[in-house]
Amino acid sequence: MAREFQRGHKAKISDLTPGTDLYVGVQIGAPGLTFDISCFGLDANEQLSDDRYFIFFNQPKSPEESVQLLGAQAGDTESFRVTLDRVPPHIHKLSFTATIDGAGQMSQVGPGYLRIVAGGEEVARYAFDGSEFSTERAVMLGDFYLKDVWRFAAVGQGFDGGLEALLKNFGGEVAEEEPAAPQQPAQAAAPSFAPPPFAAPAAPGAPAAPQAPQPAPSFGAPAAPAPAPAPVPAPAPPAPAQPVHTAPTLAAPIAPAAPTPPHGAPAAPYGQPPQQPVPPQQPQYGQVPGQTPPHGAPAPYGQPAPAPYGQQQYPQQPYGQQPPMGMPPGGMPPGMPQGVPQGVPQGGAGLEAALQKYRETATGQRWTPQNQQLMRVDLAMGGTPVLARQGSMVMYQGKVDFGYKGAGFSGRMVGNATGQEMQLMRCTGRGQVFLAENGAHLHPIELQGDGICVSAENVLAFDESLQYEVRRIEGHGIPGGALFTMQFQGTGTVVVKTHGVPVVLPVTPTTFADCNAVVAWSAASQVILSSQVRLRRNAYPGHSGETVNLQFRGAPGNFIVVQPYEV
Amino acid sequence: MNQQLAGYAPTPVAARMENHGRHMLKVAMASGQDLFARTGSVVAYEGFVQYEPNPPAVRQIASQWVTGEGAPVMKCSGDGLLYLADYGADVVVINLDNDALSVNGTNVLAFDAHLQWGAERVKGMAKFAGQGLWNVQFAGTGWVALTSRGTPIVVDCGRGEDETYVDPDALVAWSPTLKVKGKRSFKASSLIGRGSGEAYQMAFSGQGIVVVQPSEDSTDRLRIRG
Repeated sequence: MAREFQRGHKAKISDLTPGTDLYVGVQIGAPGLTFDISCFGLDANEQLSDDRYFIFFNQPKSPEESVQLLGAQAGDTESFRVTLDRVPPHIHKLSFTATIDGAGQMSQVGPGYLRIVAGGEEVARYAFDGSEFSTERAVMLGDFYLKDVWRFAAVGQGFDGGLEALLKNFGGEVAEEEPAAPQQPAQAAAPSFAPPPFAAPAAPGAPAAPQAPQPAPSFGAPAAPAPAPAPVPAPAPPAPAQPVHTAPTLAAPIAPAAPTPPHGAPAAPYGQPPQQPVPPQQPQYGQVPGQTPPHGAPAPYGQPAPAPYGQQQYPQQPYGQQPPMGMPPGGMPPGMPQGVPQGVPQGGAGLEAALQKYRETATGQRWTPQNQQLMRVDLAMGGTPVLARQGSMVMYQGKVDFGYKGAGFSGRMVGNATGQEMQLMRCTGRGQVFLAENGAHLHPIELQGDGICVSAENVLAFDESLQYEVRRIEGHGIPGGALFTMQFQGTGTVVVKTHGVPVVLPVTPTTFADCNAVVAWSAASQVILSSQVRLRRNAYPGHSGETVNLQFRGAPGNFIVVQPYEV
Repeated sequence: MNQQLAGYAPTPVAARMENHGRHMLKVAMASGQDLFARTGSVVAYEGFVQYEPNPPAVRQIASQWVTGEGAPVMKCSGDGLLYLADYGADVVVINLDNDALSVNGTNVLAFDAHLQWGAERVKGMAKFAGQGLWNVQFAGTGWVALTSRGTPIVVDCGRGEDETYVDPDALVAWSPTLKVKGKRSFKASSLIGRGSGEAYQMAFSGQGIVVVQPSEDSTDRLRIRG
């Protein structure tokens, strides 16, 4: 149910998903080109005032890990995990960018996308391709930005000058324009990418992490001993916008010549794009400090993470590294586990972390959808009782009374005629009630003086302040003899349940709907039984015809809601 | 054709248990790290995995889980990848880090064999929900996968002195530190045949969390099919 974005489209994150733990995947590719995909955390002035929030392959996570680089996976060239509620307050914007590493221009790019996945479901996708660009060498793909609430914008803006121009745009400073002497940036790199002290609280001996050279990992990345950075203890967080800190970033693209191996482990893999299109280190989902050496530490870059237990039998394949694509080790299928990784899932270990994305969300409103299938109503707010379908309460907190609510004469008629009781209960008191029914999708519809007709079976709950009446639409062929609808009028909220994702159609002169699939329509439209039933009966003798179609008529502005389920 | 299907290929293994989509669980098996899984939940496996239904260890721990029948879990061992699912229910993967969790028996999908676990009947709830409510308690450090019909919700209980009341059919899991009791919520008016439809709830009090599914369908599909 991904929402498709075009360049320039914007939306609140809360409209896309109630969660704040997002996965952002970027796919971009072009024959012969490699891309660096990074995330800039910008302040209110859209400046990169804190370069610890420039998330790229050499700095795969922000200090409090609200933004993490995850590496290539699931068809994405690069992916990030963004936990919006942990993003510190001075970061107002997260900008996702792609830059070409080496020569090339963006018009060569094939079809790609930036997508947002939340709770295992893709909720937004911005697709682009090279025809939108020309000679640019860098492009801002999309932004998360804070304007009262977090929002997403599909940007798609290119920069001719590549990463350099991009950094300038964000207020980063370009250290040296000339192809820098490799050793200068390499050494300068050490302090800037050493983890700030609080980034690796539990890491065993973090400052001393770069010890002896570890056994080289299978992909042969230069796990150089890196003598220079090693003794540098993790210093205080680097001062913002100090030129040297941006140096390695800039030096590499400007200086395509690979630095000589003796220098700088940090810069070496980056300078070898031809052999190594993907940065060898694939920071895995949610590794926590304490299990692995800190990713930000320069020296252990590219060296295997110390294997947790269960790993000893495959020392050559540390779990932190994925097997290089296309060369499954030992002829095993690529998906086969190389020993069981006991890695920690995204979000870290523990019960709380695993359940974080399912947390109750309180917005201070009377009706709050908790997810697609669960609605929370706070009875203390507004003060009027709620009428809900019997049995739809899954949980409540506080002092709430549930009473029988007679549906009145017409209500009982519903029950008798359709053979199923449409009974309501009245929830009163102070507290929060959680309503759901059989995993059906729930949709709150707020009425402000207007009216809506809802098929009686699809009503889950509504405010008692609404006036409602039961109507019947009679017709041959309708199961039970008639279709019962409830017409709501006034001010308040009706919660409608649908099986699956519904479609909302405007009423046109030719709008028809199956009487079993129609969920609701605006009260001003007029319902007519369609005569198509007869045709069908004639067409299939002996067959009772499919179902009755309802035709809707009304002025422009009316709508009907239909669910993908015909009962 | 492969182009379209390629998107559903398994992602490289990054953890012992992972979601493959919302409704499927992928477990990386290795010898020496056994797994208990619900009988009948395996939808596919790769590699060399062996199954032992109703193993002796389980018979002892879960002897009263379902009286007269074997406990509905099997032991899986070997090397490979295991894919589990429960009739399209959402799968929630939890990495316990020295935590404890109580899970409704029908919502357990799989768990590490080295966890401490035990099955017990929820006190006072036996007569409420048909066959009685069984729960499995887990403690230790390891992986547990739960199922939920629909996206679950997690609620903190320790808010104010009010208790949290949950429909037993919608309950998935809770912290064992919580105090549980059954509650009949009827009043005089509901005794004369006009109930509100919500006759029994479980009341939780104390500090902890409750996990609830947005559906009151607590039927054990794996069990019905056998």
